[in-house]
Amino acid sequence: MTRCIAGTLRERSSALRPGRFSAATAMPIVFGAAAVTPAYGHSSTGLAGGFESGFSHPFTGVDHLLAMVSVGIWGAFLGRPLVYALPVIFPFIMVGGAILGMFSFPMPPLELGIAASVLVLGLCVCLAIQAPAWVACAIVAIFAVFHGYAHGIELPSAADPVGYSVGFVLATGLLHALGIGIGLLNALPKGILVTRSFGGAVAVAGAWYLARTLGL
Amino acid sequence: MRGAALPPALLCVALGLGLASARGQTAVLGLAVLVLTASAVALMPVPESWSDVAFLGCWMSIIASAAIVYAPRILQDRAALAFSLNAGVWTGALIALAPSKVGLLAALPFSLCAWPGAWVRRRGQAIGLNVIASWLIGVAVLAATLQFLPATAGYVPDHMD
Repeated sequence: MTRCIAGTLRERSSALRPGRFSAATAMPIVFGAAAVTPAYGHSSTGLAGGFESGFSHPFTGVDHLLAMVSVGIWGAFLGRPLVYALPVIFPFIMVGGAILGMFSFPMPPLELGIAASVLVLGLCVCLAIQAPAWVACAIVAIFAVFHGYAHGIELPSAADPVGYSVGFVLATGLLHALGIGIGLLNALPKGILVTRSFGGAVAVAGAWYLARTLGL
Repeated sequence: MRGAALPPALLCVALGLGLASARGQTAVLGLAVLVLTASAVALMPVPESWSDVAFLGCWMSIIASAAIVYAPRILQDRAALAFSLNAGVWTGALIALAPSKVGLLAALPFSLCAWPGAWVRRRGQAIGLNVIASWLIGVAVLAATLQFLPATAGYVPDHMD
């Protein structure tokens, strides 16, 4: 085994000598390194958990990502105090949803709720809906339950649940902050056009998710 | 695999944000109480069987300390010291249960967020602290709930522990 590894290293080092290094030589190494993933047998049980896994989770699911950013943009449209209240309410309710998920509490179809959240939040941004505070809070809270539930199902099987929780709550908050940042474009000339167009694109994506979920 | 330094570090952040709403002198005294208490408890022998109680105490303390951020009034001196003492006890207990005491050095500096927190509060931007406090409370509630799950695969000792 050791000889085999040593032999491979010799071959690689000879391939990396000046003059012999080429794109053809580099490509397998680069792609091989990129394809390396942690060995699941040694990442404890279940998911390869921890902060990194939890942090990356909201970024890897486009439906989650679009909904979180839309919450921030819609908050920016609604102004004070909702611009700050929505990013506070969302994590609280999301935690409630996560707890329901951890205990496998029966819920309406999860994918349907998440797809609907992308569609509705996209429409709220696209149409710049000036909802009353309680309506905005209720809409965000209902969808936060679905998003939290999705995280909660995975949480108990994470190798490091605390790190995973910190990661996904922080990532969610940062996505809201990103949305609020995008919402600041409203102050610029034609900025509203940009943000509302973004909302339209999110709504189209939400409609697509919804159609796919319903099997249309 | 709950991580040795992360829960105490989160508690120190929560306390730091809470002390940001206290008077300057009180905040300094509170941080001193935290350091002394945590160091003293960390050196004491804590039975392994107290692990679940120590973690639960830590999560509850994070919720209580982070909730101070939402209080509109200035944190009173005695209350600040009581919160610091409480945080010190749980921080020290978790470190005492950890295989290494080095986690204490990693966790305690997070309490220094009291200074930037106080600065932010003075600038009238306390809403930023409210947002961070809500994240901390969310994580603590999740972690505390995990303790009551009947089976949590990643939460029980395995061959990596």
